[in-house]
Amino acid sequence: MAFDAASDLIDQIKAAGQRNQKLLIQGHSSKRGWLASSRGDDVLDLTSHQGVLQYQPEELVITARAGTPLGVIEETLAERGQMLASEPPCLAANTSRSGTLGGAVASGLSGPGRPWLGAIRDAVLGVELINGAGEYLRFGGQVMKNVAGYDVSRLQAGAWGCLGVMSVISLRVQPVTEQEWTLSGAMAAEAAIDLCADLGRRNLPITANCWYLGVLYLRLSGNASGVTAACESLSAVGLNRTDAVPDLWRQLKNHEHRFFHRENASKDDSTSDTIVGSRPKLWRVVAPPAAPVPSFLTTPERDLLTLWSGGLRWFYHDEADAVLDYSRAVGGWCWALGEAMPLEAAHQQIIQHLMAAFDPHGVFANPLGLGPKAASTFGGGAS
Amino acid sequence: MNNTSEPNVDAARWAPEQSAPHQAVLQRLQALLPAASVITDHAGLRPYETDGLTAIREMPWVVVLPETEAQVAEVVRCCAQHGVPVIARGAGTGLSGGARPHAQGVVLGLSKMSAIEKIDIENRVAIAQPGVRNLAISQAAQQYGLYYAPDPSSQIACSIGGNVAENAGGVHCLKYGLTVNNVLGARVVLADGSIVELGGALYDNPGPDLLALLCGSEGMLGIVTQVTVALLPTPETKAVLLAGFSKVVDAGNAVAEIIGAGIIPAGMEMMDKLAVQAAEAFAKAGYPLDAEAILIIELDGAAAELGALTEQVTRLLRANGAYQIDEAHDASTQARLWKGRKSAFPAVGRLSPDYLCMDGTIPRKALPSVLTEIDNISQTFGLAVANVFHAADGNLHPLVLFDANEPGQTDKAMAMGAKILEACVAAGGTITGEHGVGVEKLDTMCVQFTSAELEQFFRLKTAMDPEGLLNPGKGIPTLTRCGELGGMHVHNGRLPFPELERF
Repeated sequence: MAFDAASDLIDQIKAAGQRNQKLLIQGHSSKRGWLASSRGDDVLDLTSHQGVLQYQPEELVITARAGTPLGVIEETLAERGQMLASEPPCLAANTSRSGTLGGAVASGLSGPGRPWLGAIRDAVLGVELINGAGEYLRFGGQVMKNVAGYDVSRLQAGAWGCLGVMSVISLRVQPVTEQEWTLSGAMAAEAAIDLCADLGRRNLPITANCWYLGVLYLRLSGNASGVTAACESLSAVGLNRTDAVPDLWRQLKNHEHRFFHRENASKDDSTSDTIVGSRPKLWRVVAPPAAPVPSFLTTPERDLLTLWSGGLRWFYHDEADAVLDYSRAVGGWCWALGEAMPLEAAHQQIIQHLMAAFDPHGVFANPLGLGPKAASTFGGGAS
Repeated sequence: MNNTSEPNVDAARWAPEQSAPHQAVLQRLQALLPAASVITDHAGLRPYETDGLTAIREMPWVVVLPETEAQVAEVVRCCAQHGVPVIARGAGTGLSGGARPHAQGVVLGLSKMSAIEKIDIENRVAIAQPGVRNLAISQAAQQYGLYYAPDPSSQIACSIGGNVAENAGGVHCLKYGLTVNNVLGARVVLADGSIVELGGALYDNPGPDLLALLCGSEGMLGIVTQVTVALLPTPETKAVLLAGFSKVVDAGNAVAEIIGAGIIPAGMEMMDKLAVQAAEAFAKAGYPLDAEAILIIELDGAAAELGALTEQVTRLLRANGAYQIDEAHDASTQARLWKGRKSAFPAVGRLSPDYLCMDGTIPRKALPSVLTEIDNISQTFGLAVANVFHAADGNLHPLVLFDANEPGQTDKAMAMGAKILEACVAAGGTITGEHGVGVEKLDTMCVQFTSAELEQFFRLKTAMDPEGLLNPGKGIPTLTRCGELGGMHVHNGRLPFPELERF
């Protein structure tokens, strides 16, 4: 069934291969501004390749075609009191092109709950993949525990389509909890990071936190008695229940939060920056959560937003070298939105070898900007 | 292009003692490592001839026990130069023969790399060498109120490097995930001896998820020399419930309703009558002997949330026909209730001289039909089956009872096990949930994957290991092998010509 629905995609891939053309896999293009643009001779449009194929809430699994809008997936799950725990971003959430399931997995991006609820890659249980030769292949499945063969399914997370086009995806889903409260308390970024590290070692139903504009926000979710008790105990560390920003976590998940739209941030801001292509640069830095706040940020309360207990730091800064040095020094990595995804040379080489295995003729144009390279016999190590 | 999983080595044609490449490797290994760490004598090699799958044995050519990452890299580089296979080995507790030696190959044992390098409480991670025992990580983290969640039943002995290689599970996977969900970083020696670092104390990484690819790759894509794992706060309280059912299907429905109600128990185990009786005779856990099935459910979390949760689960159990429910809130009663389940394998071992432990995973809803099917298969083959089931995550461990001393019974048990796994695949499941393919399930891989999919696996392998020297012959069957079996490919429950009867 899924195979029949994919026959157009297969035909197009085979034809492109014969003509030596490159195809740009495209869903809603909602992340168009996030990576350096990539070009194809033609577009492999996934948007009509949509639909939920199987969903049984008690199995905690949803299977859908890759072009299914994320919004549709979220609504389908919400009707049965479930959700995608990894909270993948729906960019341009108020439009009908706010991202597809395939794009969510291919980009590997996870929302505010990542350290507690898992990343999107953790939720991937299986994919049906079309490789560069137009072969239709099934990996993984619909069950949680599965170690038959290499984990080609999770490998697709973060691949941005460089290893083939996903046609059908099965994701683990999670029940929505009974009660969700947001707490907040005013403190400096360093104090927030320290506090998050402390709280992380306690039995608390924390599912997200965020520091922005001198305030730490904490999300508690669980059953009512657990959340209420946790809330009471946290007033001792200066965190109290707030309803000030009712949809804070949704705003953060979908990048609707004003931090990501600097032109709205404050009226005295003389520049009118948008996320992409203008200054100052917006950086996404993944760091060990307890890493120090970068000292080069002169006004962190304005330029910095942290998530994941400090494990994810978004900030505005112009000096790329300073950001690179900082990221390297703390053992993390950084990515300037709108620019190429940074890949270490050793990783790049592995990825190119894998591309040669999945797409030897480079049919799939990809925003990682890499092409396939066959693994030579002992390329580096031996004579 | 490369349809063989056998090592592509000329050296393999000759006995190692007459092959120049092997002698060159041996010389290099002896120069590199202390004499006691290069084992070549028969008695010394003997303990390495098998892993936890003791039915399959092979004497290795040489065993080396390096102590540093640099030594591991040098061993691999030297073997690569001379075309000699390398088989990584952790604690040797694997159940699928993933660490079975190769007669012309080097077994690279990682048992001496057993230091926990760091418990980083600020970032809630542990950094461990591959030979560290799974349980040792939790023990080291305990003083900080933290632990490492995945707990395969061999956790006293099994190593974290082996856990990565097999993507080990355990009884708490539904709530806390498998190894792949709890490993944040690894240092890996690749097939050419080069070293690559993946991830770290980090919650995501750029590019295709190479760390996930490594998990469960059975030492065929690289050798882990350091692992960074996430640590979690030790749950404040636990409750264990034991429920007896007079019908298996009721127990299955209870599982579905608990999960459907939005509850994710820390553990939820099911045992059928034969398994219950064996476990009770062995462990005196207080299991109801008249039950057709029992459920053992563990709930954990903060004290404040647990009361309401326990009540809700009890209600659901009762509504689905549980005629007996025992609740344990103190550690010693909880340990007693778990003891029966945890000793189920040895307990079944007392019923029968030998048993074969299968490892299929099925959608939970398929449980009643698959159990019926297993019953039919059992009658056809004339061998008894006890079923132990990680009900929360659909991972089924049928134990096929047989006597290896009876001529033909071992083959019969193996064939019966394969039939059970085919039934799992036909129900939309998989042939292995947490034990790995190794050598044991090479044939059933032919059932689960098409030749195009197997070829894709081979191309992936070749991309990472062009000469096929890392743990050759494991994990993925050759197309020739599948062809010779005439294996029937079953996918997503769709058998070719489903209207035909099959025996």
